[in-house]
Amino acid sequence: MGILRSILSCVILLWTFVPASAQWLHLTTPGIPRTPDGKANLTAPAPKTADGKPDLSGIWAGTDDKYFRDLTTGGPPAPMLPWAEALFKARKENLEKGHPSERCIGHGVTDYDSQVSLRRVLQTPGIIGILFEGYNHYRQIFLDGRALPTPTQPSYMGYSIGRWEGDTLVVETNGLNDQGWLDMEGHPQTETTHITERFRRRDFGHIDLQLTIDDPKAYTKPWSANVHWGYRPDEELIEAICENEKDLQHMVGK
Amino acid sequence: MKALVLLAALVPVSAQWLQYPTPGIPRTPDGKPNLSAPAPKTADGKPDLSGIWNAPEDKYFRDLTTGGPPAPMLPWAEKLFKERKENLEKGHPSERCLGHGVTDYDTLGTLRRIVQTPQMIAFLYEGYNHYRQIFMDGRPLPETTQPSYMGYSIGRWEGDTLVVETNGLNDEGWLDMDGHPQTESTHITERFRRRDFGHMDLQLIIDDPKAYTKTWSANVPLVYAPDEELIEAICENEKDLPHMVGK
Repeated sequence: MGILRSILSCVILLWTFVPASAQWLHLTTPGIPRTPDGKANLTAPAPKTADGKPDLSGIWAGTDDKYFRDLTTGGPPAPMLPWAEALFKARKENLEKGHPSERCIGHGVTDYDSQVSLRRVLQTPGIIGILFEGYNHYRQIFLDGRALPTPTQPSYMGYSIGRWEGDTLVVETNGLNDQGWLDMEGHPQTETTHITERFRRRDFGHIDLQLTIDDPKAYTKPWSANVHWGYRPDEELIEAICENEKDLQHMVGK
Repeated sequence: MKALVLLAALVPVSAQWLQYPTPGIPRTPDGKPNLSAPAPKTADGKPDLSGIWNAPEDKYFRDLTTGGPPAPMLPWAEKLFKERKENLEKGHPSERCLGHGVTDYDTLGTLRRIVQTPQMIAFLYEGYNHYRQIFMDGRPLPETTQPSYMGYSIGRWEGDTLVVETNGLNDEGWLDMDGHPQTESTHITERFRRRDFGHMDLQLIIDDPKAYTKTWSANVPLVYAPDEELIEAICENEKDLPHMVGK
């Protein structure tokens, strides 16, 4: 088991696709608040955009890998319906084998949210783009007032609209497929999964993100998780395009 | 072969699934987008390139030199180009889901969204769900330490033209599907000029003394794609590769 665990750790490291270092350019992020010694001041006030909204722009990362592994960490188990619980258990017991990331397909809303690799938030009044270092994938959040569409083409990232509630960015997502997993241990999502994300930039260096999962086809009631993002000063995204077949052969199940 | 090329280029059947009219764009009295209206400006007076664009002419994607003289290749580059072309383009990174690079995303006939802020311009490509960053904050090009498919790009405004310089490319990418080589010393200059609301002229300039005897360029037209949206097009590995044929 010790050896298996070591192998598994290696596999998980490969799998979660975290580059060894994102500091290759030694760039000093321009225009961020700094303390007198030149270090980034992560407890300075959160910046605002020209139109007075909180400005979430910049490079961020999930601060704790545990939510990426299991969104329910530290809280009660997710209120799964029996089929979902059986699938979750099977995935977890099979050492997470079968997650789309092992085939270079990447992640979805909740597992990119909770992943510890870097992502850049690029904010404009009409659209927010999130550029993920992992897999070189992006996500679009529409802020132009459009409604969620009737899903016709389920996808890993779904379709996302956002609005401001005071200082909180509230993002609603539907249109997900049933191929994605909500976390690495395998909480299921289906084509009816509805995700609400509430982003609040507490200060310059910290975003509190509440994720709420609503899916009567997989869960008996809505449930939520609180994950945290930390601002990553003086860093850049590295290109991390997943080369197929390099990971897959190293994956082990039971 | 034609069918295989379509697969390789990862073109979704239709990007009109949502039928959502793009808000805030100029329209003629009959409601159609007015593609010859003036190009919009940002709050700080720069041309605003934001929106969904496409490259209507597949021929530059196949061969950047289409309609012009051959690229001034050094002998090794010419030999490699000929081999790739004669081998029906087999071996292009896209067949392994690695996607494209600067010039072949520029010329690809699928949708891409430009998101423009004063500090950064991002290209969001429908193909492969990949993105590209262009830094507009005045930083210089870095010393290349980690060559990549997309390289490292900085941009500046010269009048109404966005000028983007890219270095840091790897030697794995191909400049086009027929296989003009790129190396770690390839330097690409892109000049984007939004002529009117619906049209953008893009000049691509390739400079690489390790592969070409002199600098050469290509002109690629881009068109605005109104009332469309990007579809998720994540490349599923091993689904294309078994269908690829060479000679």
